[in-house]
Order: sequence, then C-alpha cells, then structure tokens
Amino acid sequence: MDLRETPEEVAFRAEARTWLAAHVPTEPLPSFDTEAGYAVHRLWEATLADAGWSAVSWPVEYGGRGADYLKWLIFEEEYWRSGAPGRVSQNGIFLLAPTIMEVGTDEQKARFLPPMARGDEVWAQAWSEPDAGSDMASIRSKGTLSDDGSEWILNGQKIWASRAVWADWCFGIFRTDPDSARHKGLTFILVPLDTPGITVRPIAQLDGDTGFGEIFFDDVHVPVGNTLGEVGKGWTVAMATAGFERGVSLRSPARFNVAVERLIALWERVGDPADDTMRDAVTDLWMQAEGYRLHTYMTVTKMLEGAAVGSESSLNKIFWSEMDVRAHELALQLLGPEAERMDGPFESWVDGFLFSLSGPIYAGTNEIQRNIIADRVLNLPRA
Amino acid sequence: MQFSFTSDQLDFASGLRDMLEREFTAARLRNVWESGSGHDPALWSHLAEMGVLSMMVPEPDGGLGGDFVDTVLLVEELGRAAVPGPVLETMVVGAVALAGTKWAGGVADGSTPVTAALLGERYLPHGAVSPLVLVAHRGAAELLENPVLGNEGIEGIDGGRVLSTLADATGGSALDVDLARLIDAGSLAAAAYLLGLSSRMLAIAGDYARDRRQFGQPIGAFQAVKHLMADALLKVEFARPAIYRAAWSFANDTPERARDVSMAKSLVSDAAQKAARSALQVHGAIGYTWECDLQLFMKKAWALVPAWGSASLHRRRVADAVLGPR
Repeated sequence: MDLRETPEEVAFRAEARTWLAAHVPTEPLPSFDTEAGYAVHRLWEATLADAGWSAVSWPVEYGGRGADYLKWLIFEEEYWRSGAPGRVSQNGIFLLAPTIMEVGTDEQKARFLPPMARGDEVWAQAWSEPDAGSDMASIRSKGTLSDDGSEWILNGQKIWASRAVWADWCFGIFRTDPDSARHKGLTFILVPLDTPGITVRPIAQLDGDTGFGEIFFDDVHVPVGNTLGEVGKGWTVAMATAGFERGVSLRSPARFNVAVERLIALWERVGDPADDTMRDAVTDLWMQAEGYRLHTYMTVTKMLEGAAVGSESSLNKIFWSEMDVRAHELALQLLGPEAERMDGPFESWVDGFLFSLSGPIYAGTNEIQRNIIADRVLNLPRA
Repeated sequence: MQFSFTSDQLDFASGLRDMLEREFTAARLRNVWESGSGHDPALWSHLAEMGVLSMMVPEPDGGLGGDFVDTVLLVEELGRAAVPGPVLETMVVGAVALAGTKWAGGVADGSTPVTAALLGERYLPHGAVSPLVLVAHRGAAELLENPVLGNEGIEGIDGGRVLSTLADATGGSALDVDLARLIDAGSLAAAAYLLGLSSRMLAIAGDYARDRRQFGQPIGAFQAVKHLMADALLKVEFARPAIYRAAWSFANDTPERARDVSMAKSLVSDAAQKAARSALQVHGAIGYTWECDLQLFMKKAWALVPAWGSASLHRRRVADAVLGPR
C-alpha cells in the first residue's frame, strides 16, 4: 500500500491541470439538454479530444492516452475541480466505449471510437421500454433479419433515452429471436438516429429541459454489421456496460468531492456557526464523499492488479446517488428562501438538486441495486 | 498510488482467519463469557505463537516490526471472531506505547497483557487479566504495573471485556510516547476490529436468512430482508477503505493521521450499529435470546462503539480538521 502519487502520476496531474486552466470556458455553458447548450458542448468535446483529453484511458490509436484507471481518476479530479463542463458524450465514452473495447470488432473500434471521442457522433442509450423499466428483460422491441440476411429490421419503442433528441446514434438491445423470453434471444445493436423509420419524441424532465426522449422504430433498416457482440447475447453484452456504468466510470468520485467542497464553501458563507446539527451534517457529507473516493481508488487498484469488478459495483451506485441527493438537500436547507428561486445566484444548487433526484432512479433503480447486492454479494435466495 | 495489500499481508490475515474459524468457535467464545474471565489464555498463547501479538512490536524488542498496514487486516480478523481479552490494547496500543522499553518483549511473547484507559474513562476493561495498564496523566501517557483494582465485578455488556476500576491511577512510570498518537492507535484498532465484527454479524444474518423459512420460502428471498441487509452492507463496505487508509496514515504518520483515524472510527461505529440492528431484525425473536450466538457479537459491538471515542466525538474531530475548529 502506498497512497502517495508516483512522480509520473504527479506529472500527469500537473499536465492536465495546466491544460484545463488554459482551456476551460470561463463562463458556464448552457445545459446540454437544450439545443444551444448541446451545440456548444459538442464543440467542447472536440477541443478536449484534439488535445487528447476526451478519453484518457483509451488506447492512443482511438484518440486516448492509454492512461491506466488511476490516471483516469486523477484526470477526473482535475477536470471537475477546474469547473469544466459536463460531458455531453458521456453515454458513449463511459458506457458504450468500454463495451466496444471488450466485444467490438477492430472495424467497429476504428469506426466508432474516434468520432465518439470528438463529439462528432454523440450517442444516446436506448435500454428501457414502456413495459421494460426495472424489469428490463421484458424487452419487446424486435429485430428481424432481412431476407438476404444483410440487415436488421427494427420495430418497437424505447423510452427514457438520454440525449436522444439531438444525438446521432443510439445503442440498445432488441429481441431478435421471436420465440425467446426474458434474457435470451436479445441482440445489442447500434442504430444511426437519422435512419428512415425512426421518430424521436422529446420528453421534458423535471427541470423542464428535454434531456431524454422516446424513440419509435418503424421498419428501421440497419446493417447487420451494426451488431455489437454475438447475436442473441445482447443481455450479457448490455450487462457488461451496465456494470461499468454502476461501477467506476459514470460517476467518478471527483464530482462529489467538488460538490462537497462547494457545500462547505456555502456553509462557510451562509451557515450558522452555532448550528452543530448542520456542522455535523456537512462533515458527514465530507466523509461520505471521501469514503467514495477511497472506495474507488481501492476498486481501481484491484482492477489494475487483474481482479474483476463484479456486482459490488451496485454498492457504488446506491452510495453516490444517495450522497448526491443528501448534499443538495443540505445545500437547499442552508439557502433557506433562496432555494425557492430557479434563476438566482444559487441556480446551480437548485438545478443540481433536481438532477440529483434522477440518480437513485436511472441506471437501474436503487431498489434493483439492493436486490442485486442481496442476491449476488450477500448470496441471499432469489425471490 | 497503490491501495491494496501485499500477498504476505493477505496470507497472514487469511491464515489467522482459518485458525480462528477452526479453533475459536462461537461455543468457545460463549465459554469464555460464562467463565467470567473475559479472556482465553490458550487462544492468547496461540496468537502469540503465530506472531499476531508481536506484529507491531519493533524487531529489536523481539517483535516482527510491522506497521499498522501490516496489522490492520489481522485486527479485522480478530474482530470477525470477536476474540475476547485485551488483544487490541496489547498488540496495538501496548506495542506502540512500550516500543523500546523493557516491557516490549512481554507484549511480543504475550507474557504480559496490556490494557489501557487513556481517555479518562471511569472503567478499565480487561484489568484483572492485564498486569500492565496504560493511563493518561496530565496529558502524558504513563504505565502502571499491577495496579490495585477497585469495584471488580462491575457487569459489562460484553463478556469478553470485563470491567473494573482503578483504585489509584497515579504513580505510574512516564513513557516517552505521544499520548495523542497512542489514542489514535487504540481508536483505529477498535475501528478495524469493528469492521471484522460487522462483517461477521452480516454473515450470521445471511446464514439465518438462507435457512429460516416463512410463508413457504427462505426469509432472505423477501425484498424487505434483502434491502435491510444490503443497506447494512453498504455502510460496512464504505467504512472499509477509510479504515485501511487510516492505517496507512498512521503507519506513515501523515499530517492527516488524526483526521483519518477519526473518520474511520466514526464511519465504522455507525456501520457496526447498523449491522447489529439489521442482523437482530433478520433473526426476529430468536435473535433476542441469550442462546443465540448473535448476542456475543452484537454486545461486543455495543461495547466497542462507545469505546475509544464515540462516533459523534470522532465526527467532531473530523469537523475540526475539515471545517476548522469551532
């Protein structure tokens, strides 16, 4: 055990910090779930990618730096500390890319990864369906092979697809064996969203932005070459992605450490120093964010030493999502009447509060995560 | 940056775990409780022979010369088995306090168990079985040899931690050791022990939830039970890295040592409370009986959570470090 950074890690951190200080937009960008915000966020992705900072852990040939996960964590710390924008490409870079790296062909890697890193192609996820939410194995959207076997013909409906309104592509699983049930007979397919037969209907979120959409597939033809992994193994492929999402990639600790630093700054500014309850609550949040950071460093060291990260990643998802809600609830409590205002000087806390509330729901509700922990980590009997 | 243990460290811990699973059953722990001694001399000798007690004793004093990173997993295993007696006080606090003194050899070979009351506690644990007692006097650590004990027979909640009082805590030998560091050593040892103890309670509850059937199925198949246990596991698993980090901070005497130790003790105290409550609830009425072994572990947790500074005391210490003193 050595919790100091190596000279190489120190140098990497310094390089990232220097670049970010020089390039991060001085004014916050508008939300990427608005049309204007989406456009400027795409440009930011290109700026990042051109300097090799968009996906530091990817191999150099696809636009990364071949950095290990510890360096990726270091980059993330510097990224969020610098006040840099949220990542409009996150579904692609953090969820789809690891799956492409794992099961994709060389052609797929070369075709999809570099434009993903630049934000030239932004990806939406298409998992859920109206009747397949927590019960995702109930997927009904179909993929049928064309007569000559060269294309998938997709029909059905996906919902809660983040970024779908402006994205270029989506990835999802479709039932390609009509006689199959549950987890079998599903195939992971990549679909350009401008294919004829696709209709995207925006859905306004709690904050009013159209962050996600509903995607309708009506005889949508895509080449069979857009299959990711084996035909019929879509569930396994999707779970690899979902595992990574819940694990370390989607929510690196840094953003919570930074959120807690902001919370502490807010407490110093407006908190009542005699209020021990609030002092304890802020301290608890600091410990949680720090605990999550340490937990992640431990997990990443484990991964680097060759161990697989399994179902225990469900623990992470519950932990960070509930911590995030708690941090924002505390901030609003500190703000008092200002917390009612959506457009004031504390807008980011109110917006952040609304966003935090999605955390315990998306990527598998926390109740589903508790089931996974109970079944696979605690080995309790299945219901 | 490398946040993991060496294979030597892991192997030693798993060897200790195997030995304790084999030799130190819950039935044997119950016998120790019922004997009233709160101590198992045969187990103690076994721990000494294995080198567990001497891990943190410097090599020139006859120990293995390990640091807290070498030791933390061992303490966790002792907690998993709820090992009774002055084990934390001897192998961690005693080893740190008595390094380089004539008493260090007796820590290493187990011949002179050590106990401690360094936070001005009214009650001394393990006094009757510990010839050496560490106390704080005017802000400094002192050692009492075979002090006179008063009020023996105070009934503590944990039968592996028999309480008495010190009739006279003065007149000890001054020790050349930083009292704050000694208190951190004890707090962190208690934290690591509570980590293992919490895991054990959840394991016991898991066994019961797989075994016990109601409404025609194992109760562990019910979501209410699954979620109760998942929430407890969450607290335990997020306390774990805080404890390991504090061990590193202690071993390297970093400027954050006190903060990190307090974070560890605060988080694991809450986790242990949660684990005990959840394990009891999973058991239902049988968990509320004297015959159920769960009580041996819960009561150890309820004794160690307030010992070496409560969760709230340690949270305040973290607050002072992070937010500045009040």
